[in-house]
Amino acid sequence: MHSPAIALSGLVKSFGSKIAVDHLDLTIPRGGLVGLLGPNGAGKTTTLRIVLAVLFADSGRVEVLGESSALAAKDRIGYLPEERGLYRKMKVSSFLRFMGRLKGLDGPSLETGVKEWLERVALSEVAEQRCEELSKGMQQKIQFVAAVLHEPELLILDEPFSGLDPVNRRLMKDLILQLHGAGTTVVFSTHVMFQAEEICDHIVLIDRGRKVLDDSLDGIRRRFDPRSLLFEPLDADLAPEILEAVGGVTGVEREGARWLVRLAEGTDPSRCMRSILEVADAARLELHRPTLEDVFVEIVTRGREEEARRVRERLAADGGNGGGPVR
Amino acid sequence: MRRTLRVAQREFLATVVTKGFVLGVLVTPLLIGLALVALPAMINEEAPRVVGEVAVVDPTGSLAERVRSLLRPEALVERREETQRRIREATPEGLSGLAGGAAAGDEVMERMLGEVPDLAVTTLPPGVDLEAEKEALKTEPVGEERARLALVVIEPGALPEAAEGGAGLDAEPSGASPLAGELGAYSFFVREKLDDRVEGEIRDAVGTAIVDGRLERAGLDRQLVERLTHVARVRSVTVSEGGEQVTQEVLNVLLPAGFMILLLVSVMTGGQQLMTTTVEEKSSRVVEVLLSALSPMELMTGKILGQMGVGFVVLALYAALGLSALISFAFLGLVDPLLFVYLVLFYVIAYLIVGSLMAAIGAAVNELREAQALMTPVMILVMIPWILWLPISRDPNSMFATITSFVPPLNCFVMLLRLTSTSPPPAWQVWISLGIGALGVWLALKAAAKVFRVGLLLHGKPPSLATLVRWVRMA
Repeated sequence: MHSPAIALSGLVKSFGSKIAVDHLDLTIPRGGLVGLLGPNGAGKTTTLRIVLAVLFADSGRVEVLGESSALAAKDRIGYLPEERGLYRKMKVSSFLRFMGRLKGLDGPSLETGVKEWLERVALSEVAEQRCEELSKGMQQKIQFVAAVLHEPELLILDEPFSGLDPVNRRLMKDLILQLHGAGTTVVFSTHVMFQAEEICDHIVLIDRGRKVLDDSLDGIRRRFDPRSLLFEPLDADLAPEILEAVGGVTGVEREGARWLVRLAEGTDPSRCMRSILEVADAARLELHRPTLEDVFVEIVTRGREEEARRVRERLAADGGNGGGPVR
Repeated sequence: MRRTLRVAQREFLATVVTKGFVLGVLVTPLLIGLALVALPAMINEEAPRVVGEVAVVDPTGSLAERVRSLLRPEALVERREETQRRIREATPEGLSGLAGGAAAGDEVMERMLGEVPDLAVTTLPPGVDLEAEKEALKTEPVGEERARLALVVIEPGALPEAAEGGAGLDAEPSGASPLAGELGAYSFFVREKLDDRVEGEIRDAVGTAIVDGRLERAGLDRQLVERLTHVARVRSVTVSEGGEQVTQEVLNVLLPAGFMILLLVSVMTGGQQLMTTTVEEKSSRVVEVLLSALSPMELMTGKILGQMGVGFVVLALYAALGLSALISFAFLGLVDPLLFVYLVLFYVIAYLIVGSLMAAIGAAVNELREAQALMTPVMILVMIPWILWLPISRDPNSMFATITSFVPPLNCFVMLLRLTSTSPPPAWQVWISLGIGALGVWLALKAAAKVFRVGLLLHGKPPSLATLVRWVRMA
């Protein structure tokens, strides 16, 4: 049990000229609850498919649950793909039994497993219906059951919340947390940041096939503390200059009714908050914590700006050479 | 292996336990059987008795009378009986049994010919206005009048000049023989929508009348000529190591055809289903769920095995139908049981090759519609045996047959044709053919596995044949 749940090193995968995964290193410890985040097309699904040996990397090393390929550990892995499908004509219970058997379950444990899980997702009554008769949300829950029926050690969920209503989203979240609590390693991908923020203890951010962030949620918050306060004046006519005069404040930005108060390096936020309250009445005054979305946007934008700068420099350099006399 | 078998089991049940399959596979042969039984009844269309007039313009003066007597109902009945007797004689042994015995055959014949028509023959003088007479073919009869059904205009030269002494054939060849040169015939005008059977009978009668007239002019006796020109049709006797037996013409043709059709139907049923279910799994996106549980190779193998079972069901079912037919016509002893062993062996080879191609195609496309373009080469492969059937069953050991016996998957069809023919190939050829077939299976599975693995998760523009070949080479 000392090997990590997933260990990827130097993973590269391209489709034609498009590089989907670009030298990705990633280690996910056993028992973790990790969110794999990134914009659309960042390479999340490709990475997960490579981990599951559904796709094969061009180069790099994959280790899953101590095995050199997921093929050797498929019975210990559960997977809910983003592209979901069921056998339309099959009965729900038959489909689950079939999937359970593929995963090595059989006999009474399979029967009780199917029954219990259908109860847990509140779908016992559809057991004998055909899959095509279910609503989209129901189908998604059935697929989730198919992924966890065999009590996997590693559960990989690709966009598990997409297409679910708030009630089912909460149910899904609770189930994920329960499984995690029972010791299952859970990796899920999403491009909706607040979902990850709600449940993950560790975040991996991927952009254009590269890992741009790999840290715990707390660590990220510490690292990306923008040193600012959120202020909402009680008096709507208050002039921002009053706050700008407070010691340690470097600037005030208005975002509708909210003001973002920027603090100078080394300023103690609590002392500054007290000073602000001395000059203005606040409807709200709090330390501004960056959301994952802020972090995400910042990293991605910064990364692209940096790249743009590099490209500009290279172009400039090429231009310098190109301007020389032709021999 | 466990997963592969699970997939095979699901694939088999999901295909066989459906209304579509049961209807298609079980009900179709039933319908064919029913149609065979019902066909004679359906032919019995109970057409009303044809009544009418046949006008004959007869410049010879003697032929109209002959036509009249030949078109009398009794004469018509007599000629029909004669035709039936000849058909019976020409029908190979066995086929008459198939049709339910001679009596049943005659009954069918009678039904097919319809009721004997009532035809009155009117003689018209040679100089008559033909256009005016033709008008009668267009008008409807008034009152008791008979409708004119046909107008026969016999040419003056239809009969040779009367020979002196009545010995036309003995005349000097150099002399002006009455039989020299072309003899005349007749023109035949009929009413619109005249029953073709009646038309045939009139034509027959006129033809016979002219021949009779000519024979008489030549001083010959019709019965004598018939006796002299008729040779009874004999049945051939096949002489082989195992002794002599009457050649089973029908069986010799039907047996190879039967085995080849059995092979084709079962291979295509399994192959087609394999492609359909693969496309369905891909388009319904269930495939990624499956791939998280097993490898593409396990999935493909499972599916191929499952559909092989489906093909076997079809094969067994139709073979059983064929066997029961053989038993009921007491032909069973003529079929070597070893043939069924070969049938199964060649089925496995042909199915695995065609099946892997179908699985690859199914995995490469997004929907059935797109599969059509890629299916063409496979369909051609499957159509070739039909083209080969006749040449090979006629000459089962020709160079052509021998060469195609070693080209998979054609070898399966060709070998079965040869094995079921009257001169089966030597055993070594069969074994080599089986070996090459197995090699073909290995290659097809290997190539299909690559396309399957690459194509399964690829959505978007369907690949061309060239792309598929590239996948096979690079993957």
